[in-house]
Amino acid sequence: MRVEVLFPEIANLYGELGNIRYLEKSVPDICVKETSVNEKPAFLDSDEESFDLVYLGTMSESSQLLVMEKLAPYREEIISSIENGQRILVTGNALEIFGKSISDDTGEKQQCLGIFDFHTERKMMNRFNSLYLGKYGDIDVAGYKSQFTHSFYDDSSLKPLFMTERGPGFNPEVKEEGIRYKNFMATYVIGPLFIINPPLMTAILKEAGVEAEPAFKDSAMDAYRSRIAEYSNPKTGFYY
Amino acid sequence: MGKLRFAIALAAAKLSVIALKITKRNGTNFPGVVAIRICPDFLKYINRPEKIIAVTGTNGKTTVSNLLRDVLAQAGKTVLNNGLGSNIASGIATCLISGVNIFNVEKYKAAVLEVDERSALRIFPYVKPDWMIVTNLSRDSIMRNAHPEYIRKILEDNIPPETKLILNADDLLSAGIAPKNERVYFGIEKMEGDAQESVNLINDMQICPRCHTKLKYEYVRYSSIGKAYCPNCDFRSPEYDYAAYNVDVRSMYMDIRTGDESEHFSLMNEGTFNIYNQVTVITAMHELGYSLSEIKGFMSKVDIVKTRYNVTECGDKTVTMLLSKDKNAYAGSRVFEYIASQPGDKEVILMMNCLGDVKHWSENTCWLYDCDFEFLNGHGIKHIIVTGPREKDYKLRLLMAGVPEDIISACETETDAPGLLRLFENDNIYILYGTDSIALAGKVKAGVIAAIGEEGTK
Repeated sequence: MRVEVLFPEIANLYGELGNIRYLEKSVPDICVKETSVNEKPAFLDSDEESFDLVYLGTMSESSQLLVMEKLAPYREEIISSIENGQRILVTGNALEIFGKSISDDTGEKQQCLGIFDFHTERKMMNRFNSLYLGKYGDIDVAGYKSQFTHSFYDDSSLKPLFMTERGPGFNPEVKEEGIRYKNFMATYVIGPLFIINPPLMTAILKEAGVEAEPAFKDSAMDAYRSRIAEYSNPKTGFYY
Repeated sequence: MGKLRFAIALAAAKLSVIALKITKRNGTNFPGVVAIRICPDFLKYINRPEKIIAVTGTNGKTTVSNLLRDVLAQAGKTVLNNGLGSNIASGIATCLISGVNIFNVEKYKAAVLEVDERSALRIFPYVKPDWMIVTNLSRDSIMRNAHPEYIRKILEDNIPPETKLILNADDLLSAGIAPKNERVYFGIEKMEGDAQESVNLINDMQICPRCHTKLKYEYVRYSSIGKAYCPNCDFRSPEYDYAAYNVDVRSMYMDIRTGDESEHFSLMNEGTFNIYNQVTVITAMHELGYSLSEIKGFMSKVDIVKTRYNVTECGDKTVTMLLSKDKNAYAGSRVFEYIASQPGDKEVILMMNCLGDVKHWSENTCWLYDCDFEFLNGHGIKHIIVTGPREKDYKLRLLMAGVPEDIISACETETDAPGLLRLFENDNIYILYGTDSIALAGKVKAGVIAAIGEEGTK
């Protein structure tokens, strides 16, 4: 399996690179390429062997601007790659880069790559913290959200990555969470997503044609089942 | 109207202080809460000492603030200080209330105020420090503090332009803050054990802020604490105005140099973060007009408060209580690194679960994967007990860190942990607890000591 991690020197908040370390422990013969922000993403390089997964994680707001600046020249190539089925996972505020714009409550508006038809609203003095419980197909997904933003679908045909059971969706008004378009996957669920959801990781690997058992399966599944039960319990509060 | 409301607020706050004393209740910021509730801009009107030194930053601000207060006391200066209270706006208000009489007449000439970095926007519009120490900025609670750049922006937006900054040149995240403000830098020159590449999971200063090239380090201690330079442009860490050098943790000495002055100091603690705390206080004292020689004299009579570090000897074993701030990967990594550096065989009880979160929702465990649990793999650590509501998450994290499964034990209830100890000969047992589990950790410690006693009678 070949994985490209985009800009890990800045897109590394909230323990999210733990997902890559978990893949490394779970998938034999995995090859992980880390691409720095001054480099062109390798998955866009026709001379490179193809990647089974490209990952971009959460970053600071100034890093968001830098990443947008660095990716803007490759916008058309990224669209073409997504249309051709490149499997990409983006988490947290990294997803906002692929939308139309980010508007601050100060009135400032930042244009983004505009690949998908949604927009983002940001309130830097409001941190939205919650737990998350949703479904990826039939698979239960648990996780965390901690963000200054909410995003809004402007194209009603956009498909979500998860359907929400508890907690906010793409914004608190909707049950749909994230984006799934062909093999492009985006979610506001942050942190060690694969580690706390081994069945989700297994399913995504399977879609990529990779058969692998989650590392430390017994312990990981024990923690997963406990968390799903805890989050499904109506007595468990969901908002911080 | 504002001043009348203020007068009522001050009177009510003073009455609440008396009420708290009569009822023997320890409401650390209650008078300030009362005052701000009645008069939202209370901090605008309350009189304050002529000179104010604010201490903020992610780590070390309590230690630095307390130490600076104590060293100033040795210099014969009694200062107003919130060391016994809280560091948010209501805590600062409570402190300032204690510094005036009912007629708002100030009793102190100077204050050392520990200020919560996120509360800067509620405090600095009114309370304008003459000096502000920023110890460092690092990752903290994800929910509250998001990431260090967010906190830096809050500070930058609120630091008064007239405030002189005392900054850590070895922390690029805070060193460049509010660039227009007057400033001095402190730092520690190359030490034994320094590396040139960070080994920590958290490293928030990996690229040059100007050209985005990967930074190189002349020396790095942990995360991004060290002296960096860009191999592609002229960006580099600031030069030290106050430099610690010849730091020797075996003989427990260091030298400090500023301008033409230099002095030999005893180290108050061997931990690198505490050496930074000491250098910070020396810098602040020198900025206040004391010579290095005078500061050395004052400092020889005080100690760093050891409430976060407590060792009990039990026969051939030791029991060490270590505060490991819950949900704080950066602090956890320092504690794990410290345990790894200690000699002998060790057992570790991990119980840093956030108990407050258990009551209201469920702890966000993202921090586990920012925290260097890898330090707990090897280094004489022969057994680890994970306990509390997140025991299963801790276990998985330890497995990810390469810790063999057969040396991990688990129990849901913290007070059951002592019963799982393996109690090796000359064992060193570490109990790691969070900020809201101090009392529970005390019970666990008592259980550990009892278990050692029972083993001794077998």
